[in-house]
Amino acid sequence: MNPDVRVIEKKEIPKGAFMIFGFPDVGLVGVIAASHLISELNLTEVAYVGSRLLPPIIVLHEGLPHSAIRIFGNHQILLAVSEIPLREDLVYPVMHALIDWGKEKEVKMMISVSGIPIQERQDLEELKVFAAASSPETLKMVQDKNLEVLKEGYMVGPQAIMLQYCAMLGLPAITLLAQCFFNYPDPEAAAKALEQLMNIIGLKTDISKLLEKGEEIRLKARDMMKRTQQELTKMKKTQEYDIPLYVS
Amino acid sequence: MATSRRKRSIFDIMDEYFESMEEWAESVMESIIERPSWNCRACTMEPLRNIVVTGDEVIVTVDLPYAEQSTIQVKPIGKDTVEVSAQMRRKVSFGDFGITHYKGEFQRFHCQTRIPVPVYMDKMEVRFKKGILEIRLPRKHEYEIPIE
Repeated sequence: MNPDVRVIEKKEIPKGAFMIFGFPDVGLVGVIAASHLISELNLTEVAYVGSRLLPPIIVLHEGLPHSAIRIFGNHQILLAVSEIPLREDLVYPVMHALIDWGKEKEVKMMISVSGIPIQERQDLEELKVFAAASSPETLKMVQDKNLEVLKEGYMVGPQAIMLQYCAMLGLPAITLLAQCFFNYPDPEAAAKALEQLMNIIGLKTDISKLLEKGEEIRLKARDMMKRTQQELTKMKKTQEYDIPLYVS
Repeated sequence: MATSRRKRSIFDIMDEYFESMEEWAESVMESIIERPSWNCRACTMEPLRNIVVTGDEVIVTVDLPYAEQSTIQVKPIGKDTVEVSAQMRRKVSFGDFGITHYKGEFQRFHCQTRIPVPVYMDKMEVRFKKGILEIRLPRKHEYEIPIE
């Protein structure tokens, strides 16, 4: 446990839930998907991240202060979402703290929802969702759900550390990556990722509203996208475009 | 005490060059970011945009949600700047974002983008798809380095 980052609980946390992560990344896929899930499933704030390592930012909702990194949930889902992009140096401590906490709550599986940038995104009509997993067993489960596996390549950001740390701890984990714009909010990609998330966890949610509100979301998400892009540049996110030299 | 100075290799020089380029790019990004993305006086919003420089052309994309296609204007300003403006199909106010401590309404996007390499402004090609404006500018290669 990292003593510098704490998860502070506000409500009783159910055991055996799915833990989902929606952090600012390319196309803001995870955050848009998380935001839609919160409103569609009426998830309430059950915990939040407190740390002096975080920048001095709070989020005001209805005049009251909230942590920028919060966990929403019900009896089936725990959804960790951040309203600020994670600085490069905070990715490890924050993700490790959240995963340690999830492990303590005996979560069934950790799933991060994110995007994979594609240069011809504007011309793509059908978006693909790729997946990577923390173990061969979880990967097989993903393949049984007809998800395409991201076989080779680099992954940069919170979802990368989530997968690596879960593999180290022996926890089942999946990262879902929907094809998306690099630096424009992409609600369509978020909808695609959500479809696959629901396919994995066996729940249902209506994504039509998300698609209908696409333009509104793109307009609202401009500032968060700009800040995220700044952090992604520092994190060298474009390395995901690189061709890896496979070392066996 | 005598200190021995290691001779810098071409790789050291290249590393330093790329590091200084990265610092420059970061400072430019920060200068773009550290100002509001809206202008109450002009009633405009600044759209997200991106520039890609390839060997043959420069591709500028601009995200224009709610833009009325027929109102999109792309104007070259001088040799190295492109100005984009577009009317939105609906007025947007701070209230629409739940913000009550600012007042203002916006119905237009506006931005100016500097093109980092010489281009033929008169050969500009523009298309608008999925709410994203794409401007393609062929590069002007003003000089060539002969290969011996």
